Amino acid sequence: MSERVKVFCFFSSEKKKSFSLFRSAGAVFRAAGASFLKERSKELVPMARALLPSVVPVALLIIWELLSATGAVPERKLPSPHRVLLAFWHLTRTGELPHDVLISTLRAATGFAIGGSLGFCFGLAAGISRLAENLFDGTMQMLRMVPHLALIPLIIVWFGIGESAKVFLVAVGVFFPIYYNTYHGIRTIDAGLLEMARVQGLTGPALFREVILPGALPSILVGVRYALGIMWLTLIVAETIAGNSGIGFMTMNAREFMQTDIVVLGILLYAVLGKLIDMLARFIEIEALAWHPSFSQA
Amino acid sequence: MASLVQPGMSFLAPSLTRDIAGDMPVSPAHGLPIRLRGVTRRFGTRAVLTDIDLDVAPGQFVAIVGRSGSGKSTLLRLLAGLDHPDAGQVRLGGQSPRQAAPGLRIMFQDGRLLPWRRVLDNVALGLPRADHPRATEALHAVGLADRARDWPRVLSGGQKQRVALARALAADPQLILLDEPLGALDALTRLEMQSLIESVWQRGGFTAVLVTHDVAEAAILADRILLIEDGAIALDLAVDLPRPRRAGAALAEIESRVLDRILRRA
Ligand SMILES: Nc1ncnc2c1ncn2[C@@H]1O[C@H](COP(=O)(O)OP(=O)(O)OP(=O)(O)O)[C@@H](O)[C@H]1O
Ligand SMILES: [Mg+2]
Repeated sequence: MSERVKVFCFFSSEKKKSFSLFRSAGAVFRAAGASFLKERSKELVPMARALLPSVVPVALLIIWELLSATGAVPERKLPSPHRVLLAFWHLTRTGELPHDVLISTLRAATGFAIGGSLGFCFGLAAGISRLAENLFDGTMQMLRMVPHLALIPLIIVWFGIGESAKVFLVAVGVFFPIYYNTYHGIRTIDAGLLEMARVQGLTGPALFREVILPGALPSILVGVRYALGIMWLTLIVAETIAGNSGIGFMTMNAREFMQTDIVVLGILLYAVLGKLIDMLARFIEIEALAWHPSFSQA
Repeated sequence: MASLVQPGMSFLAPSLTRDIAGDMPVSPAHGLPIRLRGVTRRFGTRAVLTDIDLDVAPGQFVAIVGRSGSGKSTLLRLLAGLDHPDAGQVRLGGQSPRQAAPGLRIMFQDGRLLPWRRVLDNVALGLPRADHPRATEALHAVGLADRARDWPRVLSGGQKQRVALARALAADPQLILLDEPLGALDALTRLEMQSLIESVWQRGGFTAVLVTHDVAEAAILADRILLIEDGAIALDLAVDLPRPRRAGAALAEIESRVLDRILRRA
């Protein structure tokens, strides 16, 4: 009780002190100026923060354009940004570009869906059942070490250069990171929580829904993000080596006709689409892991 | 002293009367009797518990004390069916721990709340959907109704343990096993939690087995204090004092009897 009184006294004396300070006009001015600056910077800081990441790309574009304009970089080797933009406009109007982007996206999505769901199922089985783990985890760990792009010659023999070859390659590529992270995520769930869930009478699907899946989710999503990167890389390689449609084919085709603007456009498209996908993955992480200290917004 | 207790706590007793006594029926036969015969548990060649016989009456509050590593948690895990004896029998109301599992709950030292479920969903964990109102009632009974929508990580240590207690209570169990549930709490929060546990036990009518390092805590809460030593029950002391118990000569006498017995070997 006496402590509280003391605290109160302390506060009131503080107030008196600040009063006497404010009586001097200079101090009032200074305080007003400081608060004004604070208000301004409060508004400016979030805006500056939002713009900051685009400073480097924009600067690079300007330098690039300038180098092209002065002739320091020959147009035949590296076209200027505005020529790439023109190529983009032209190919969009002819419908070629949207078609190729759509084809590439569909391939990526199909391969990801197949490889990802298989990887998830196998990872789940190995994570939940010792029998399944003993049965195939050793094999998986061995296969995981094979660079999946090494399969390309074999895949061309099996599937030719059609759709299925590319989808298959993407599926193989995304399978392993998702398999491994699902398996690992389940195995590293706190044993104490599993024991507690058992005491609370959770079994089967309820145990899976309440404990196993949410507990493994951070790790699974790490796998998903990693797999999305692999998906993109695989698709580029596959489309560049063999194909008659898609962004990779578009750039390879352009190379034969020395259309470097289209080649550069293709590369930029991969960058933009890759970034979009990563943003999507990040968004899913933030939504699904709101409980997690590293992802909480508040 | 009274001003030290959180504002919410003073409403505890009335809300308990309404929630637990009102909706969860109190019956003298509600608690589960415990019966151990010749229970032995070995890890490797070392016997942690040897040939233990124990009977606990329905609704009794038993405290288990003993040195670190004496086998208190092991005994609790045997009661819970999380571990199995190498010899002997554990019966809860005539059933095996596995059969009695629906009426049995544990409160762990580290709370063990699911970090990905909000407070209320943690309390409702394992309850059938129709019983979900019970979770709200249990949360109300521990004074945390206003934190239902929070993530467990934003709660203090004491609040987490109150949520864990609510979760144990929500299923209206016949037996609650508490393994040092207050071990990680500060002295003041401990006192609050002790009176909370006592009042929910008095209204809930369940059998309670509390493992604790704190002999004073055992004396305040228990009808009966068991000391485990060298794998056997070395002391079985009835505490026949009126509740709620306040520090005093009678309590001090009980405490010193248990402590003397523990320290005699030191
Ligand atoms: N799963 C296990 N495997 C091997 N030894 C174990 C196992 N569980 C417990 N023990 C051993 O049994 C003995 C009793 O452990 P227990 O956890 O029951 O002690 P306790 O009385 O609860 O101690 P504390 O007060 O420190 O919690 C210890 O020596 C411990 O090493
Ligand atoms: Mg222990």
